[in-house]
Amino acid sequence: MIDERTLRGAGLSRRAVTTRFSDVQTAPLEEVRTGEDTSTAPDRPWLVIVWNDPINLMSFVTFVFQKLFGYSKEKATRLMMDVHVKGRAVVSSGTRERAELDVYRLHEYGLWATMEQSG
Amino acid sequence: MAFAAPFRRRRDGTYAVRLNANVRTVLAAIADQVLPMVDSDDRATTRLFPPAYVEEGRGDEERAYRSLVDGALRGHHHRAFDTLISTAAADTVSAAQLDDWLSAVNSMRLVIGTRLDVSEGMEPPAPGDPDEPEYAVYELLGVVQASIVDALAAELPDEGSVEGAL
Repeated sequence: MIDERTLRGAGLSRRAVTTRFSDVQTAPLEEVRTGEDTSTAPDRPWLVIVWNDPINLMSFVTFVFQKLFGYSKEKATRLMMDVHVKGRAVVSSGTRERAELDVYRLHEYGLWATMEQSG
Repeated sequence: MAFAAPFRRRRDGTYAVRLNANVRTVLAAIADQVLPMVDSDDRATTRLFPPAYVEEGRGDEERAYRSLVDGALRGHHHRAFDTLISTAAADTVSAAQLDDWLSAVNSMRLVIGTRLDVSEGMEPPAPGDPDEPEYAVYELLGVVQASIVDALAAELPDEGSVEGAL
């Protein structure tokens, strides 16, 4: 993903458009949110995975994780860094229907998300 | 140090938009160019319609997912682009409209980034390279997007939300 500092280097801050840069924070390990729909509890939950890509802004990915999943800024930042550094990260898990909904909402924001059954 | 934030939330919940006329013109012009590409399934728009199931043996699930969401996704992009085009000259936008701006700007970056075959840590094109103008637009979109994220992210609680998704 792209760090906004590379954008600053292009000299675009001299124009009317300016940016601030958010600090990346580290966070302790936390559980990812699991789906709350247990009406048809699966044997193996479905995992929603977000993949790294060279286009999306790091601050944007963090924002989407906070907005869609209600994660704290710390947790959303940690997940984003996992995607960036490790190439992919599990961002939620639950029933297949819940996972498809989460994938769709991530696709609406242009994130590269897929789903797979755990185990 | 003071600077003029391009997008600033007002007390009434709307957002003041402070962009110069050139930036506004570029945003609307690029949106006008990219939207038809979304409808014509141009190969540069593949990032806007990514697969949900990529594992072997999940072809049926992926086909079902596609038939379920492609119309809705296309409608979502139309709405976001239409909002940006119709409010590109506005001094004030609602939070919902700014969210549409964010979506449209990101989508334009994905399409242009795909056309430029952007890779991680890639160097900008050399002066005189035919990709130079498109790359300049790509970078401008990134700066605008970063500014929108700054403004919208400031409204999210740092500690997260127990109820989950907004």
